[in-house]
Amino acid sequence: MISMNDFLIVSAVLFCIGLYMIVSKRNAIQILIGIELMLNAAILNLVAFGKYDRFFNGGQMFALFAIVLAAATTAVALAIILNVYRQYKTIDPGRIDNLGDE
Amino acid sequence: MEEFLHAIDTLTIHFTLAAVLLPLLAFVINFSLPGRLHKLAGWVSTIAIIISCIISASVFSKVWNGHMVHQQMYWFTIGDTKIYAGILLNNLSVLMLLLVNLIALPVHIYSTAYMKDDEGYRRYFAYLSFFCFSMLVLVVADNLVLFYIFWELVGFSSYLLIGFWFTRDKAILANKKAFIMNRIGDTGLLTAIIILFSQFHTFDILQLFADKGLISQSVIQGGTWIAPLGHLPAAWQYIAFSGIFLAVAAKSAQFPLHTWLPDAMEGPTSISALIHAATMVAAGVFLLGRVYQLFNDVELTILAIIGCFTAFMAATIALTQNDLKRILAYSTISQLGFMIMAMGIGAYASSLFHLATHAFFKCLLFLVAGIVIHQMAHIKKDNGLDIDPQNILNMGGLRKKMPLTFIAALIGGLALIGLPLTSGYLSKDGILIQAFEWAEGRSGLYKIIPILALLTTWLTAFYVARLIAKVFFGELKVLNDHPGIQIHIGDGGWRYKLPLMLLALCCLFPLFSANPLLYEHAWLFNGFTPASSHEHANIYHTLVPIGVNILSVLVICGTYAMYVKRKGNIFPQSGFLYRLSAGEWYFDRIYNIVIIKPILFLSSAVFWIDRTIIDGFINALADIGVKIAKLCAWVDHHVIDGFLNLLVAIVEAIGNFARRFQGGKVQYYLFSMLVVILLLFILKTVF
Repeated sequence: MISMNDFLIVSAVLFCIGLYMIVSKRNAIQILIGIELMLNAAILNLVAFGKYDRFFNGGQMFALFAIVLAAATTAVALAIILNVYRQYKTIDPGRIDNLGDE
Repeated sequence: MEEFLHAIDTLTIHFTLAAVLLPLLAFVINFSLPGRLHKLAGWVSTIAIIISCIISASVFSKVWNGHMVHQQMYWFTIGDTKIYAGILLNNLSVLMLLLVNLIALPVHIYSTAYMKDDEGYRRYFAYLSFFCFSMLVLVVADNLVLFYIFWELVGFSSYLLIGFWFTRDKAILANKKAFIMNRIGDTGLLTAIIILFSQFHTFDILQLFADKGLISQSVIQGGTWIAPLGHLPAAWQYIAFSGIFLAVAAKSAQFPLHTWLPDAMEGPTSISALIHAATMVAAGVFLLGRVYQLFNDVELTILAIIGCFTAFMAATIALTQNDLKRILAYSTISQLGFMIMAMGIGAYASSLFHLATHAFFKCLLFLVAGIVIHQMAHIKKDNGLDIDPQNILNMGGLRKKMPLTFIAALIGGLALIGLPLTSGYLSKDGILIQAFEWAEGRSGLYKIIPILALLTTWLTAFYVARLIAKVFFGELKVLNDHPGIQIHIGDGGWRYKLPLMLLALCCLFPLFSANPLLYEHAWLFNGFTPASSHEHANIYHTLVPIGVNILSVLVICGTYAMYVKRKGNIFPQSGFLYRLSAGEWYFDRIYNIVIIKPILFLSSAVFWIDRTIIDGFINALADIGVKIAKLCAWVDHHVIDGFLNLLVAIVEAIGNFARRFQGGKVQYYLFSMLVVILLLFILKTVF
């Protein structure tokens, strides 16, 4: 039997991996992947706690919304990264430190 | 009636003011004349003096032997004492007023010709008018302070005029000498005035020196000088006398302050005639006349001795001088000595009488000397000779070339010797007779004074005769030494002749007395003495004039024989007495050694102290100051600036540290946030 704690541990591991990726990676796309990992960790939590709401399946529903929103934000983020690349010829966030018009 | 008299007095005062202020006006005009009109300067001054002379004559006629006129106005206050200044006209002041103007008038006319080619023509007349103004105020001032101011001013204008040719070194030396010597006298006069003020609380001459004035009410008793308003130790009375004596000695060139007068002859001759023979030098005698009440017997005797000694000494010096003007200068000193002596022996009236007569004949002699020197200078210039135009050894035989000048010189000379029919006879014999009368009642030593005075008279006869013989008789020496030179000389124009004639007339007896033989009948003499006091009392009144004049005539004949007829000079040209006389008794040398050298030494010593010690001290202070300043600079630089720099460094370090968090790198921000949140959680868990 998979207990509640197992879900939460997997979710925490996922979250930490995502966080680590966001902080350490030098590629915007990898960072985006990290964000996705963190989102999924959250969604996993929603699903795990949704086990206790058997009547309305609120957790399940909310997870579905979150997945859709994550897909939308990912699309927007990719578009932004594409534009950033056009502007700066790089997608390393450490080197994009200038928001001005030059 | 009283008001009427008062109005007349006021009118007289106004007249006097006009007479006094006209020369001042001339002075101002002359100074503001534009350069191209400078030839007018002479006439401006001369016209001013003519008008002034006429006015003075009218004032004189009103006041002489009439009642005294005295008006004054409030001047200033010292403490509680109000000081008034004004004009005092009595016999003495109106006589001087007229005399100064009468002498100044011919001198002005003469000067317009004498100075006509001089570059400083306008300056000359400006100074001359200024002198006249000062002298005229001096004689009418009723207040010792006013008197002192103008006493200084006549000295100052004399200084300006002695140094008139200021490009000549000798003139500059002479005017400095005159000025410094006169300063000594001025100091004395100021001291005396201050003492009188502290004793009597007034500067008013009338209050002090009138017949029943404050001075005559004061007595010396048991070492204290008691006056109506206070008392001082008796010594102060003597100090006041010494001060006045110094003033008189300096201004009237008496021993020991006489040495400036011969040197003062560096000025133009017309100036010598007016200032250094007739008027300014007589100011000392005038001062004595003003303050006569102050002196007691001892002081009068001192005056008599000094005057007599000066007269004798100057006469002996005049014997051997060869410079025409120097002879006359020493003669002036000698005659002034006579006046001082006359004051000392109580012959007050005779002294002032001699002052008046001397002014005329000495002025005349100086004007003659001026003409002679002028003509000699012409000879020198026309022929390019290297001679001293003032040296009488170069002259001779001038009586044929300039007859009028010769006659004038003769009259002046005879008056100076004091032969009958001249004014000099009247005044000088008065002095001699009274000197004998004075010595009568005294011990033997005092008898030297009249005898010395008598001797001086004969010495005077000798040097005057020598002067006239050398200048006017015999051959022209220059012609002998330089044969073939061109000589065009003569008496000169009317501006030379007129003053000579005027003054020569004033040297004869009719101006002063109807009786040519008795001085007691001279109106001027009687103006200063109570009518009854002088009787033809004793044998001296007959014996002295006869003896003096017979011997004088003999001396003159001897001199004439010696110098003109060349009977051989009976006097040795060497020996101690000759050198003493030619060396002017070595006064200049003695003063040089005793006073000037030590003072110069003292000055250089003081200068050395100033330079080395005082300046050294100041420099040391300055060095210390610089050192302290450097220390401060170091502290400022290293400690205060260092502290600020440290602050800056700290702030910079903090800034640099904080800046690192703002690198614009999103992942750092995120990381930092993560760390902070984790820290917060850890802290929350631990505490």
